[in-house]
Amino acid sequence: MDFLGNLAMGFSVALTPFNLLMAVAGVVMGILIGALPGIGPPSGVALLLPLTFGMSPTSGIIMLAALYAGTMYGGTITSVLINTPGESASVVTCIDGYQMALQGRAGPALGIAAIGSFFAGTVGVVLLMLISPVLARWSLAFGPPETFALMLLGLTTVTLLTGESAVKGYISMVFGLLLATVGFDIVSGEPRFAFGVPELMDGIDFLPVAIGLFGIGEVVAGAEIPGGVAMLKARYGLRDLIPNAVDRLRSRWAIVRGTVLGFLVGVLPGAGPTVSTFLAYAVEKKVSKHPEEFGHGAIEGVASPESANNAAATAAMVPMLTLGIPGSATTAIMLGGLMMWGLRPGPLLFEKNPEFVWGLIASQYIANVMLLVLSTAAIPLFVRALRIPYGILMPLIVVFCVTGAYSLKNSVFDVGQMVVFGVLGFAMKRLGYSPAALVLALVLGPMAERAVRQSLIISDAGAAIFFLRPISAVLMLAAIAAILVPTLRALAATRRRRRLAALSP
Amino acid sequence: MRAADRIVGAALLAIAVAFAAFALRQHAYWGESGPGPAFLPFWIGVVMALLATLLLVGALRSRDPGEPWLPRGEGLQRIAIVLGATTAYVALIGVLGMTLATALFLVVLVRWPDRKPWPVAIAVAIVVAALNHVVFTRWLHVPLPEGPFGF
Repeated sequence: MDFLGNLAMGFSVALTPFNLLMAVAGVVMGILIGALPGIGPPSGVALLLPLTFGMSPTSGIIMLAALYAGTMYGGTITSVLINTPGESASVVTCIDGYQMALQGRAGPALGIAAIGSFFAGTVGVVLLMLISPVLARWSLAFGPPETFALMLLGLTTVTLLTGESAVKGYISMVFGLLLATVGFDIVSGEPRFAFGVPELMDGIDFLPVAIGLFGIGEVVAGAEIPGGVAMLKARYGLRDLIPNAVDRLRSRWAIVRGTVLGFLVGVLPGAGPTVSTFLAYAVEKKVSKHPEEFGHGAIEGVASPESANNAAATAAMVPMLTLGIPGSATTAIMLGGLMMWGLRPGPLLFEKNPEFVWGLIASQYIANVMLLVLSTAAIPLFVRALRIPYGILMPLIVVFCVTGAYSLKNSVFDVGQMVVFGVLGFAMKRLGYSPAALVLALVLGPMAERAVRQSLIISDAGAAIFFLRPISAVLMLAAIAAILVPTLRALAATRRRRRLAALSP
Repeated sequence: MRAADRIVGAALLAIAVAFAAFALRQHAYWGESGPGPAFLPFWIGVVMALLATLLLVGALRSRDPGEPWLPRGEGLQRIAIVLGATTAYVALIGVLGMTLATALFLVVLVRWPDRKPWPVAIAVAIVVAALNHVVFTRWLHVPLPEGPFGF
């Protein structure tokens, strides 16, 4: 098997001094970005993407993937010490992590998260390495109908993660598709919905949109409350981080369960790390012998979700690399980066750009080791960074966003577009819509349109083609189930509420 | 929230109908060999109209006014300052150049919402604007828009 040869080649790419440096830089920036409230993985990747244009694509993706892994851990620091999630995949960690910190056990909480992240990340890369080539070979048989069905599945599952209202999740997604149709039509070349504005002819670029929605949107939403958060005093020397024997025993299987669950959820297109953490927490509470401790500092409540989010972040790269379909908002932005570098994500990537794929895989092993080292040895440094008052940090993020958006194409129009989407992102967040679904749809939109039109061109049976081919039929049914299940659940909930309302006078 | 849902629902319904109609008027729904440029926009409009109707009907039938979606008083004021300063910042890039506009924006936003002392605001502004300038123009070779003073 040429498997080991490929991996050795990957390591020879990843271990060049520059790529090693990029992996370290990515992990450090990732931990910082994850730790700082108001800036999460999607905006971090979107902001740093322009910096990679001068590099080779391999170095670029190594940095961005390391950064993604770093954010998953960085958010934990903030969740445990300040009870504010640094990013959405660490929301669950606040529940028991902060309680542990209140009991003076911040050290073990951070320690178990670091260990879980390392284990999950490493298992994740091994699985990524084993599954991706197989999946890539298998998906070579995909025609346009299969591609479209898979994208539809990705678009419908991403809306599952908007908790409050399924309708608002779908509206966010369809609005993204609507924006994606602006610009030259891929088949006929006619400009659509550009209204004579030259900047709109090429379509709405997803990067200024992502920077605006996630970067500016978060800053504006966070501006409401005066800065200055109370941080718990804790000891985080290396010795304070080591969980005791009881902790280790309790967390062992929690980490394994979190890893498996995280990987499974992460591989699904659409559902990313955030969903995996909520599931992992729920599962842990179900299987625990002492569920009453959850919410009062149960270490499993930190260990399992923190493992899940790292496994999911790695797994999210599987559909991105093999099928060209991103698993989360962050990988959607990475996918956009891949296309800007002139690479075509999808099954052929493994054949045409092996040094890229295997360099990335090898660098993920390295990034996980770095993450373990940095997340145990350098915690005091990252904690110091958290002391930057939000009143100073917030304007700095805006400056990053503005200069970052400008540098993409040296265009002030892009900056204006970014600010417009910043305002939209703030409103969406407040009103319960999903910016992640919008970005995913904006990236997938053109690909989905090409796939659906090609399918209908080759079809003799109209839209039935999607149900006549076996793989596409299964994917379509899964997508339909993803639409129906939340709808039916919502209907059942309203009916129950009505009945209750009828009973009580 | 209920009022906002009603407004957003109605607006989206209007946008969806206009979008689908505009697509059909400007472009072909079906070409010689298959779906044309208006095909997908039409269906996106239809689905959006359906979703907007669901949102609108739900909000019209709801008896619970819900929480207001915007804060009042100081919170709203702080949001307005950040939004206003950011918009002014972007508008001034073309006039003052990136570096000067950045410095000015930083002074305003570090000084106001959180009442940081003037020296802190000015120091942050000068250091960050200068760093930003050097990193982008020298290291990344991105020519930032220049102002009247040549930077």
